[in-house]
Amino acid sequence: MRMDARIAKVKEARTLIQAALAGCDTPQIEMMLRNADLELHLVLWNLGEAVPLRPELEYPDLEQGR
Amino acid sequence: MIDTLAHALGRRSRESRYWNEYAETLPRAKIEALQLHRLQGLAHYAYDRSPFYRRKFDAAGVRPVDIRSLEDFKHKVPLTDKSEFIDLQLESPPYGPTAALPADFIAHHCETSGSTGKPLAIPLSMSDTIRYGETWVHGFWAVGIRPSDSFYFAFGWGNFAGFWSAYWGARRLGCKVISGGGLDTKGHIQAIQRLKPTVLISTPTFALRMAAVAAEMGVDLRRSSIQFTYHAGEPGPTALPAMRRQIEQAWGATAGELLGIAEVDAFGPGCPNGDGVHVNELDCFTWSLDPETMQEVGDGAIGENIITSFTNNAQPLLNYRTHDLVRRRSGCSCGRTWIKFEGSVLGRTDFMVTLRGANVYQTAVEHLIGEIPEVSNAYELVLTREDENDVMTVRFEPLKSLAGDPGAWPAIERRLSDHIHQALHVRLKTVALAPDSLPRYELKTKRIIDQRPKDFRRALDR
Repeated sequence: MRMDARIAKVKEARTLIQAALAGCDTPQIEMMLRNADLELHLVLWNLGEAVPLRPELEYPDLEQGR
Repeated sequence: MIDTLAHALGRRSRESRYWNEYAETLPRAKIEALQLHRLQGLAHYAYDRSPFYRRKFDAAGVRPVDIRSLEDFKHKVPLTDKSEFIDLQLESPPYGPTAALPADFIAHHCETSGSTGKPLAIPLSMSDTIRYGETWVHGFWAVGIRPSDSFYFAFGWGNFAGFWSAYWGARRLGCKVISGGGLDTKGHIQAIQRLKPTVLISTPTFALRMAAVAAEMGVDLRRSSIQFTYHAGEPGPTALPAMRRQIEQAWGATAGELLGIAEVDAFGPGCPNGDGVHVNELDCFTWSLDPETMQEVGDGAIGENIITSFTNNAQPLLNYRTHDLVRRRSGCSCGRTWIKFEGSVLGRTDFMVTLRGANVYQTAVEHLIGEIPEVSNAYELVLTREDENDVMTVRFEPLKSLAGDPGAWPAIERRLSDHIHQALHVRLKTVALAPDSLPRYELKTKRIIDQRPKDFRRALDR
């Protein structure tokens, strides 16, 4: 897989995770999803993508968490 | 049938020479474009979230939108220094207005060693600790450490950030972790014999201390399970070739080193060539300054490392003065495009020596000497090398009024030694000399008498 295709897949995965996070009422699952999103954010960061410093800065609609 | 549990990583990853070849070999133009984007984001982030930075920017008449180039960032964003953070934290502990994230986000509290006087509190968010640990892994991977390795941590688990971050790195690589916390030197050696780790994490000096104690115990560490030793916290194998030789001979292992600053990041994984460290330029931005003229210096010249970290979001550090003197180089025969600091840290703008793992600054010792009223301002700090350790002895003259009462001097020696120990957590030898016996100087007083073998001094201290 080319790097740009891999990056696109990671971005898709983040969109799915953020959809799963919306309205989550189970602390364990919400924390796991946030951690999963953090890891994917770091994938993009370490592939030189222009992402913000922290993943939370990309979804301000969600309540702030860890 | 393929056993999916045979390896933590797939074949192509296992065969890579790099932890992340894409990142470590990015063309410079791409690195710099990325850094500008990240610096602009960080300037906004710090200005919006940290009262400390808002005040600094406002006082300098700078707005984050003014940062349109790397040059703008270097020269418009005010320099920051550790003492500013410490003072504000003392006024309003633990983090004062220097923090940029609320308590919900703080996942780990660390501190500096306190060797400059007061420890700096370091709040870290979960993502900060991940980034911090990841940089270690770039260094681990470069020397050949893999997920099948097991780490032995030969240090106590206090609040000092240095080796906690190595632990985060070992976890990220997926290695087995063995804690040596609470054991004495002999206990560490016995634990290594019993548990058979393959990687030793320690200060370089302590690796040599362990080798000396092992020899007394009749243990040949060259026959131990250790295949790699990896170090930080004081000048090590990439700064001092003699240190590398001694460690590698004593342990029969490959020695590596990372350059980090507790409050910043483990930002400098060792070059596999063994002659310096590379700066993780995806996680920080560095440039060099002549501390005398305060002008920027370029590639190949020695200057003070000024660093901005993208790692520490909980307590951002922008244009942070490290007081470390480095020689920057672009490009390296190892293939990495990340800036290299040849010989790691070559010296300090304020002289510093590492004694049994604790950084001791000339200025801090001088400050403490000045707090003992019976001690005059005639003193010198003598550095020697004993039993594989750097040793500092404070030779001082008591006040002239005490010249006729040498029986009182030992108590002054003890008081000074205790005072330094209490503040810096390291015990220095203290020796009182007859008043007027130390040399006097017309111009700058020579305070440091360095009697260590040349091979055990940083390049600029030789």
